[in-house]
Amino acid sequence: MAFVKAQKTKAYFKRFQVPFKRRREGKTDYRARIRLTNQDKNKYNTPKYRFVVRFSNKDITAQIISANITGDMILASAYSHELPRYGLEVGLTNYAAAYCTGLLLGRRVLKLLEMDDEYQGNVEATGEDFSVEPTDTRRPFRALLDVGLIRTTTGNNVFGALKGALDAGLDIPHSDKRFAGFSKDGKQLDAEVHRNYIYGGHVAAYMRILMEDEPEKYQSHFSEYIKRGIEADNIESLYKKVHAAIRADPSAKKSEKAPPKQHMRLKLTYEERKAKLIDRLHTLNAAAGADSKDED
Amino acid sequence: MPAGHGVRSRTRDLFARPFRKKGYIPLSTYLTTYKIGGYVDVKVNGAVHKGMPHKFYHGRTGRVWNVTKRAIGVEVNKQVGNRIIRKRIHVRVEHVQPSRCVEEFKLRKVKNDQLKAEAKAKGEVISTKRQPKGPKPGFMVEGATLETVTPIPYDVVNDLKGGY
Repeated sequence: MAFVKAQKTKAYFKRFQVPFKRRREGKTDYRARIRLTNQDKNKYNTPKYRFVVRFSNKDITAQIISANITGDMILASAYSHELPRYGLEVGLTNYAAAYCTGLLLGRRVLKLLEMDDEYQGNVEATGEDFSVEPTDTRRPFRALLDVGLIRTTTGNNVFGALKGALDAGLDIPHSDKRFAGFSKDGKQLDAEVHRNYIYGGHVAAYMRILMEDEPEKYQSHFSEYIKRGIEADNIESLYKKVHAAIRADPSAKKSEKAPPKQHMRLKLTYEERKAKLIDRLHTLNAAAGADSKDED
Repeated sequence: MPAGHGVRSRTRDLFARPFRKKGYIPLSTYLTTYKIGGYVDVKVNGAVHKGMPHKFYHGRTGRVWNVTKRAIGVEVNKQVGNRIIRKRIHVRVEHVQPSRCVEEFKLRKVKNDQLKAEAKAKGEVISTKRQPKGPKPGFMVEGATLETVTPIPYDVVNDLKGGY
């Protein structure tokens, strides 16, 4: 083998500055975080809420978070895996599901703060740009959108969640530039296209195309939809029902899972481990003695 | 060319970030709240260029007299000639740390109140004043043996053995 000069010498490691843990994990953008959580000092302990939307491969997480030195506090959260409770079981990471999750979180927060009667938001989703009007009694709940590390392109599902929260009645500063249906040439949001996306119209269109051209691919790709009898035509009415169900009861439900097994917190000492071994041998011998007695 | 006397002169090492602590500053600096009347230490963070105090104030402790959107007003003592002036400066929060100078006092206040309440309940009179450490108590020296040491006459022959 040719002589290879060692790249990472001892000197390299001695001078290496380890980035923050969440930066190492690639999960937090600190530049954005500083700017989102920085509160005016003359507002002292008033919390500054961020509307956090994160996507995993099969789930959407939407949370309202306020920052704290000891750790961020979550005011309310909504996941797209809760949507089966409202009648939506498939397509849990698409634009329409993101809208539902944002709507669910918004209504949940308002109900928590007892503002849900005052601020109904946009009951009928039209896809137009909707901003909450402040009423006389209380100012609307304000949060700042935190997208995390995703690329904010027009039509990204994150903005579906944003639209859901806006229509729920939250005050989130935004522009309509990144909603699905905004045309760069016309510099305008096409409300019809956006409404189409909110009600899963783009999914329905793809279903129709596949049914026409490649029925086998349609069977494999939309198998879960077919199993539940969801067709391209009844997708819109399905989402309408889900929106209505969410508005009717957005409260969070505690899961009935048993609390996780508690692992041992401290390692046993040497004496304790020996004592355990002796006990186990005693019981084994007793059992073995009983067996041998039976054999005899 | 003579040395300059600019605002940041002679601060090459003073304002430098410590070893392996460069880059983004931890969020707790931005999340601590400051109240008027509290005490803060001024410690310059060279990574943030706005709202930097003059190098004189680095390491000084002062009282907060004003709180604005991103900065704190601090009142620091400065000796000018034959008098001490109370200087009021505005410093961004990145260059300020909450001071621990009153921490011991606050704890002592709480403890003294508790002791006084207990003494009052029992009906005895106590003094909660701090006393300076007095002289050490006297003691007898134990296990001492006497060893008399006398000088020995200088022995030219033996001491110079080895080379001269």
